[in-house]
Amino acid sequence: MALPSWWLIGWRNLGRNPRRTFITALGLAAGYFAVIFMIGFADGLKVEMIENGTGLMTGQIQIHSPRYRPDRSLYETLGGRAGADFEAVIRTVVRDPAVVAAAPRVYGAGLLSSGQSTRGGMLMGIDLDRESGVSRLMSSLSQGRAPNPAANELLIGTEMARRLELQVGDEVILVAPAADGSMGNDIFRVCGLYRTGMAELDGAFALVPIRSLQRLLALDPGRIHEIALSTTDPWLAPEAGRRLAAGLAPLGVELHVLDWTGLRPEMLEYALLMDSWYSIVVIIVFAIALFGVANTMLMSTFERRREFSVMLALGARPHQILLTVISEATALGWISLVLGVAVTFPLIAWWHQYPIDLSWIYGDLTMLGALIRPVLRIEYNFPMSMWTGLALLLTAVTAGLYPAARAAWMPPADTLSGL
Amino acid sequence: MSSKTAVIAKLALRNLRRQARRSLLTAASMIAGGALLIFSLILGDGTHEQWIDSAVRMADGHLAVQSVGFQDSRALKDRIPSESRGLVEQALRQGGFPANINDMVPRLAVTGMASSAAGARPARILGVDPVVEAAFSVLDEKVRQGRYLQSGDRLAAFVGIGLLEALDLRLGSKFVLTAQDAGGEIAGQLVRVVGTFRTGIPEVDRSLLHIPLSTAGAWLGCSGDVTSIGLLLGNSEQVPQTRSSLRQRLSQHPGSEELQVLSWRESLPELDAAVKIDDFSNYLFQGILFGIIALGIVNTVLMSVMYRRREFGVLQALGLTPGQSASLVLVEGLFLTVLSGTIGIALGLSVTWFLWGEGLDLSSMMNNEWTFSGVVMEPVVVPRFRVARMVQGLSFIFLIGMLASLYPALRALRIDVAETMKFER
Repeated sequence: MALPSWWLIGWRNLGRNPRRTFITALGLAAGYFAVIFMIGFADGLKVEMIENGTGLMTGQIQIHSPRYRPDRSLYETLGGRAGADFEAVIRTVVRDPAVVAAAPRVYGAGLLSSGQSTRGGMLMGIDLDRESGVSRLMSSLSQGRAPNPAANELLIGTEMARRLELQVGDEVILVAPAADGSMGNDIFRVCGLYRTGMAELDGAFALVPIRSLQRLLALDPGRIHEIALSTTDPWLAPEAGRRLAAGLAPLGVELHVLDWTGLRPEMLEYALLMDSWYSIVVIIVFAIALFGVANTMLMSTFERRREFSVMLALGARPHQILLTVISEATALGWISLVLGVAVTFPLIAWWHQYPIDLSWIYGDLTMLGALIRPVLRIEYNFPMSMWTGLALLLTAVTAGLYPAARAAWMPPADTLSGL
Repeated sequence: MSSKTAVIAKLALRNLRRQARRSLLTAASMIAGGALLIFSLILGDGTHEQWIDSAVRMADGHLAVQSVGFQDSRALKDRIPSESRGLVEQALRQGGFPANINDMVPRLAVTGMASSAAGARPARILGVDPVVEAAFSVLDEKVRQGRYLQSGDRLAAFVGIGLLEALDLRLGSKFVLTAQDAGGEIAGQLVRVVGTFRTGIPEVDRSLLHIPLSTAGAWLGCSGDVTSIGLLLGNSEQVPQTRSSLRQRLSQHPGSEELQVLSWRESLPELDAAVKIDDFSNYLFQGILFGIIALGIVNTVLMSVMYRRREFGVLQALGLTPGQSASLVLVEGLFLTVLSGTIGIALGLSVTWFLWGEGLDLSSMMNNEWTFSGVVMEPVVVPRFRVARMVQGLSFIFLIGMLASLYPALRALRIDVAETMKFER
């Protein structure tokens, strides 16, 4: 029964100077908040980058002919020049539990001419219904309507529209080298404008119904360049990619399945570096908080030096005094943790729900080729919350060690006689 | 009055010395914080300067002189005619070329299509003066094969590696550039690959190519005209001042209403945003960190006031006014923070200077190239020491010390003299 009584003494000592206890606990709680907030912010940036980097256009997984990347030649369609039954591929991949949707795509490059002005641009042939399950391109429509899949209609980005001085309803001439060696050219009608916020997309890509583009580029309906897939969670994509590669082998078509970590390795690297940065934040913040706690503990033990001397004189062993002070520090740690959690989580939840608008500081930017909106996006990170809590308790106990040792080995007679 | 101030300062110093261990522990957190603050500030500045430098060399310089509509339209119709170009160059040279302008490059930019037998790609075609461009741009240092353009080249093109591969070209291959010329007609130009570059920025490597300015002018029917005149300064801090002096010089010439001087913040808004968000997250982190440090200081100074209630009571009974006892506490807190903050900043500076003055190598953490808003992150960060940052850091620490000592000082102000001396504690 010795342990609980030392515990109790430590706990009571905290109550003897509530203001000091509160301020010290506030310091540790602020440290907890700081770490969780910084990690939430960094996680938000990471998630934003991965979501936009994959969800805006790329998709989480892509399937190509093995020779398509990195040259992206017009001729390297799925299954080679003969084409393939890509519908069978799509039927197979959407059966995977991690895959949400899949959409075929055709790419070409050419000149867009409005009469007054001409610019080079990328032409992207999309299946309108299926594309919206994979990317946010179709939901970025800012003016007009989606093209009619059967007609020569297209969507262009607001940036390109401005530079070509085009309005919704205007005609535009497309000229593009076709797969049969000729120059394909046709008149299209701009039926709408899209805006993603990425100048690179909005200024360069024209979205064309897949059949219309295949006609322009002299490609058979069975020839596509890419199947883009979305998954329920970006982090499930690498695993799903491996499953799909195995599952597609029986189809007998040469295919290359690549998830976003392979398409954009720098994004994965950034995410991993962020994770290791978290522990550095924890160490820095608590190392600095450590001094404050140690200082207060030192003061409170010094204040009670007579009390400890009396206890020692009455027969308490030094290690029991040590235990008292350490349990006091531990109790302080727990109070701080409860305070920190009580302050942090409501705030994090609030900011997660209603991200703070930062557009007054900076505009849209791109990071590793992904759009980042100017909002303070906060994400939850439960494992890190646990580790940080542990680090807080450890800090409190570490801070208590030196004051505890000083209290335990003070000379009782000298102290009592007032020396 | 001044002797009283001296006494207060002396008292404050003595009080700090009397509690040496407590003062040291409080100072330790401030020293660590100050060192960390200055380290992250100068390293951040170094990183940003690197981003800006490589981005402006790729784009139109720290400052760009353009026609008023060009920033929006990016079209050849908003170009600078040769007369105005002469005017700008004359205005710059008149009365001496400004010392902080390192280079001046004329460029003719057009968006068109590059095509070969293998296919076609959209291309950003830049007509450049090979000699000055080699000094200005970083592209000539990124040569992969062949060489950069030289004076006397006519049908030469310096092509991004991505574009080269996409068009299935090699050194010496011929390919066709197609774009709308000054008259609004579609015009073609045959060029030959003399060299390739790789910047690491996919958008650039896939689309950019350089051709001689004279070739571009003849092809597009606007010889002597340019779309922008880029200026490279010594560093990014000189931008606002150089810009206003340049504007002033230009405004004295007739016909300059059509021209505008853009800084990199306007011509590269994404880079501006990247620098701002990086600074913002740094400030956020430092703000939180110093909040924690401040709480530690509040605690120590407050405790020292509480312990010395009797002492303050006696002092006030002997004639110290409440205001003076409050300022004593304030001075104590300020001494402690400013002294330790200065030590911290000095420590941070010297550690950074000795260990990483030549550059902090992060290449072990970065296996792939990282691009931020069209800039490749260099794996070696060279810190940038600026007096302004040190002043900023010191004032911030001073402010923190002031705020942290305010509440304890207020407590000292409200001490009831009679009450504190009533009984032995």
